[in-house]
Amino acid sequence: MRFWDLFSLIIENLNRRKGRVALTAIGVVIGTAAVVLLVSLAIGLQKSATSNLWGINDLSRIEVYPNYGEAMMVEAKIGGGGGGGGGGTVSNQKLLTTSALADIALIPGVQKVIPRDYLMGSAVMKAGTLEAWTNIMGIAGSDLDDMGYLSGQGTLELRKGTAIVGSWVVNNFYDPKIRPGQEPPVPPELMDQRVKLVLSKWTNDGQEVKKTITLQIVGVLQEMRNEADGSVFVTMEDLTTWNEWFNNGKRINRNKDGYNNVIVRAESPEVVVDITNQINELGFMAYSPQSTVEGINSFFTILQIIFGGIGAIALLVAAIGIANTMTMAILERTREIGLMKAIGATNKDVLTIFLGEAAGIGLLGGLGGVLFGWGGSKILNVFAMQYLASQAQQGMLGSGLSAVTPTWLLLFAIIFATMVGFLSGLYPALRAATLEPVMALKYE
Amino acid sequence: MSEAAFIQIQDLRKTFVMGKQKVHALAGIDLNILRGSFTVIMGPSGSGKSTLLYLLGGLDRATSGAIHVDDLALEKMDENDLGIFRRKKVGFIFQSFNLISSMTAFQNVTFPMRFAGIKGAERQKRAAILLSQVGLANRAHHRPTELSGGQQQRVAIARALVNNPPLILADEPTGNLDTTSGYSIMKLLSALNKEGRTIVVVTHDLRMRQFASEMIYLLDGLVVSEAEYEAAASFELQEKEVEEAI
Repeated sequence: MRFWDLFSLIIENLNRRKGRVALTAIGVVIGTAAVVLLVSLAIGLQKSATSNLWGINDLSRIEVYPNYGEAMMVEAKIGGGGGGGGGGTVSNQKLLTTSALADIALIPGVQKVIPRDYLMGSAVMKAGTLEAWTNIMGIAGSDLDDMGYLSGQGTLELRKGTAIVGSWVVNNFYDPKIRPGQEPPVPPELMDQRVKLVLSKWTNDGQEVKKTITLQIVGVLQEMRNEADGSVFVTMEDLTTWNEWFNNGKRINRNKDGYNNVIVRAESPEVVVDITNQINELGFMAYSPQSTVEGINSFFTILQIIFGGIGAIALLVAAIGIANTMTMAILERTREIGLMKAIGATNKDVLTIFLGEAAGIGLLGGLGGVLFGWGGSKILNVFAMQYLASQAQQGMLGSGLSAVTPTWLLLFAIIFATMVGFLSGLYPALRAATLEPVMALKYE
Repeated sequence: MSEAAFIQIQDLRKTFVMGKQKVHALAGIDLNILRGSFTVIMGPSGSGKSTLLYLLGGLDRATSGAIHVDDLALEKMDENDLGIFRRKKVGFIFQSFNLISSMTAFQNVTFPMRFAGIKGAERQKRAAILLSQVGLANRAHHRPTELSGGQQQRVAIARALVNNPPLILADEPTGNLDTTSGYSIMKLLSALNKEGRTIVVVTHDLRMRQFASEMIYLLDGLVVSEAEYEAAASFELQEKEVEEAI
């Protein structure tokens, strides 16, 4: 039997019993819609949970801190400061020296090793009459693209005497002469502006010494949802010069003192956990958002399976419905089956026709279920948005809860529903195929 | 016999088990049917004539014995081969027509060609020719319920012919028809026989004898002579009269 003949015969047969096919398919529609809706909800919950984690937007990134030994570990973890010229008295300390960076770069899967350093003193940024306390960060290599940062305005290339600012920096500016009751100032436009950076330190006899540097702002980053948003980036050379000024001119030796902090970028998020473990084995303190995300993901995968399983129970009930409908159809059409065999249908032909009809009911139900499940998740999202909006009015921060329905889920649901129909039709179709023709023809 | 018989049957037996009882529907039949013959198998109900017909058409399996149709040994075929045998070699005509009620006359006629893998255009052509051959060109798009018994049987005959089988097997083809329709159906079968097809008709209607080139009489699962059959038939007639008298 040719495929098209088989297909058209199946359609004709289903069309003969529209009402019953529709009723049976409704069972599959409910089951499939439940699977789609519940799994969409679980995926939505997962997305919302991971996107709300601070700084987890870049999963191929590993932060590495020096290991200052037992006593200083806590401090190192929090601030990453105090490194630069730190003493070498603790024996098990591991600093991020030039040779250490070379070791890390040799780990398979490592794409880039980017050292960062912080300013070892206080600095105030001045734009016109406004001032801001800022977090100054020096980046080796001078290209913020290497860090995975995205440009909002201007460039990502740093040069001597230039700076690139994070997206929130502009909001940190305040008017030092503001009086109580006055409106806060409008945030300044920083792009392409020259700003002043005032560094200050105290001499041994308690005198404040200031140094003013002019910086050209050449870029503003997009919101990265990590520490970059509040930072001002400068070249490592500029930062080293200023740190040496804080250090009373004493030169910083990267081979000995190392860097405050190193960002390692992996070739892909899959290798991140492995690289993190290897860096930790070298004695440094590596942290990757990927390991956190993996833990969260495995929790949500279980949640998806549980939610999907609840929907699958409805599909199981639908499967029994299909089996029942097909068994009834075969009883009613026994003579027809006998006739089909008399006019030349093989057992395989009969089996294929009835399996096709059962799978067809599954497919129809699957298509309907996907439509309802997908529509349901959209409606759910509308209600969730309204709820979140009302929460926001009350001053509460919404978590962005929503159902997310990926294409693979829709395709999977349709294929799964068709498979359910196919499997439910197996027993009735086998019965039909093995009917004795003479008995079938005489059936009343 | 100038050529080997189209159908050769040797010691054919079919036993049905009904509960604890064994019923010998066919108790050892030896028979040859020639190519191009019009064979009428005559017998009262329960004589085993329909069982014999279904065995000839590969719809049922014998308990023992051998059937060769066109040099094919049916007892050696598996279910799949039997399906293909029925498709290519046999056209069945039933007493109750067995048309599919949801399909039109035209669709019923094209139905067997779907299993034979014949393409759409060819199907349309063959069905149109056959329906006009059986005198139903103008009723092609009517459903079985809109046709008379005689017309339905004509559709069934057209359906039996679509795959151009050399053998036509008819099980009481006139059983559900009035005399006139029955006669015209037998004329139609006779015309098909003259085209060269081998026809085997099973009936208990003695009037069928006028169309037959060969007569076979069956009684209690065995082939008997005409004289034996007549004697049994008259006995049966007497019995019927007695029953009516009571």
